Amino acid sequence: MTPRQRRAALVGGMAAGIAAAAAFAFLAIGENMLWFFTPSQLAAEGPPPGNRIRLGGLVVEGSVRRRPGALEVRFDLADRAAAVTVAYRGLLPDLFREGQGIVALGRIDADGVLQAEEVLAKHDETYMPPAIAESMREANATERAGAPTVRP
Amino acid sequence: MFRRYASPRHFHDLCGRLLPWLGWPCAALMAAGLWGGLVAAPPDYQQGEAYRIIFIHVPSAWLSLLVYAAMASAAAAGLIWRTRVAEAVTIACAPIGASFTFLALLTGSLWGKPMWGAWWVWDARLTSELVLLFLYLGIIALHGAIPDPRKAARACAILAIVGLVDLPIIHFSVEWWNTLHQGQTVFRLDGPSIHPSMLAPLLLMAAAFTLFFAAVLLMRVRCELLHRERRRQWVREVRA
Amino acid sequence: MGRPEAAAGAFAAVVRRDVRAALRRPAEALTPVAFFVVVAAVFPLGSGAGPATLAAVAPGALWVAALLAALLSLDRLFREDLEDGSLDQLLLSPHPPALLAAGRIAAHWLLTGPPLLAASVPVAVLLALPPRSIPILLGALALGTPTLSLAGAIGAALTTGVRGRSLLLPLIALPLLVPVLIFGALAVRAAALGVSAAGPLYFLAALLALALTLAPFATGAALAVGAE
Repeated sequence: MTPRQRRAALVGGMAAGIAAAAAFAFLAIGENMLWFFTPSQLAAEGPPPGNRIRLGGLVVEGSVRRRPGALEVRFDLADRAAAVTVAYRGLLPDLFREGQGIVALGRIDADGVLQAEEVLAKHDETYMPPAIAESMREANATERAGAPTVRP
Repeated sequence: MFRRYASPRHFHDLCGRLLPWLGWPCAALMAAGLWGGLVAAPPDYQQGEAYRIIFIHVPSAWLSLLVYAAMASAAAAGLIWRTRVAEAVTIACAPIGASFTFLALLTGSLWGKPMWGAWWVWDARLTSELVLLFLYLGIIALHGAIPDPRKAARACAILAIVGLVDLPIIHFSVEWWNTLHQGQTVFRLDGPSIHPSMLAPLLLMAAAFTLFFAAVLLMRVRCELLHRERRRQWVREVRA
Repeated sequence: MGRPEAAAGAFAAVVRRDVRAALRRPAEALTPVAFFVVVAAVFPLGSGAGPATLAAVAPGALWVAALLAALLSLDRLFREDLEDGSLDQLLLSPHPPALLAAGRIAAHWLLTGPPLLAASVPVAVLLALPPRSIPILLGALALGTPTLSLAGAIGAALTTGVRGRSLLLPLIALPLLVPVLIFGALAVRAAALGVSAAGPLYFLAALLALALTLAPFATGAALAVGAE
């Protein structure tokens, strides 16, 4: 083996190794490794009830109910296909509002309600002045009669 | 030309001449960016005034990656050509990068508590940024532990290059995984999802931070070169 | 120099030498595994938790124990060679340092990996991991422990012969080893929950491929720096 061939073999081997790493990483990303489940993922491939999980979704408009005289809040978290009711006692983050992305940590009880120990708000990557957000919302509303346009 | 500036003495002089050209524009851009971000830019439609921390947080986070890339490039140059200047640049980058990383983590934490409801979460973005801080700290510690400066620089260079693996993980973490951290705002295929009135001060701040990095880097490189070459004639002349 | 058979022969010679030397002192060779078992057994004592809580922290505890055991054994990876001068001899040989580093790393994994895999089964039972997660645990450890040896060897080579090495090595090696810990624990946790562990396992495989490609060269270069 001449030095040139040896160098070629070395470079080829390293390229093959890095390609293999990239291929496995690509497969892994396709497998969706979750910090949280979305409601439809939970329905399709989620663990059985009773396990501690994180659930991420959008708070359904009009679903937030507070029990009078108690700290408990109930709301529905949904993605495009499924929804799960969440019950939580405690202080909600500033960004908590209807239509907002939320990640809740807790256990699903026998009634299929997620009893949350922690509720975190996920804000999106969009920043704009309130006036522009307002005019965009109006434009959206006239376009498609009030359908929520937020992404999970 | 390059060969000339690869000599510590000439590089030291060049740095001295460049410094004012970096320092003053940096101060001006920083003032303009802070005014633009804290006063002129409108509040955010969702986060109100609290979003203004991005004018510190985002440039710090960008610089934490940029400094690492600069450090690893200098490390590779130092290993290949064995120039003392490149070795000094590698070492000089580490504390600056660690500071930016720490600042990004700190401001992110201050922002996370009111917005997310938690100071810290172990999602992919935050974890990989924390690993970056540990990489910087490891490089600083390794440099401190090896007395021979040239040996120390080469050992640190190897570690810096190995740690490059973390950079794409940090950058793409918000796309590869479901993270609590939001996705890319500025570096997007469909254009930045931030209103121009907010993007302008953000870019000013990023430019100011970059100049700040360059200025501090040159100062640190000068110190490092003087320290390493303290027994040489040219350093005696500089001191005289 | 130059013929592939010669290179393969040198690699095999390094592996054989290390394995033989270790088997001559079996008690010392098994210390990392004993350490792994003890650290994992301390978790239930320290947490004082019932089986449900224990099972929740078990994946992390197991991987932390494996990582600490790897660090413990990596500390001596190149130390004796440096002290008795055989490292200089190896570096003077006509073969590239990366090849010798690869042989040394392969021997390290052969001596620590399989015993750790065997010990992980009773440890998993001690930590109340559900039995269905044990095959995934073994798979994750089989993919992850070679990466611990490979990436950790870079840190070991960089700190060989350095003052305060035993404290420096964890600081330098941990950032390189943390991804293995994260995805290894994620795989076991997914298996314990009864959901697919394919994602983290693929990621461990990706890390292994990357480490196999790069770590021997980085380790070899670090050894050359340390010896010069």
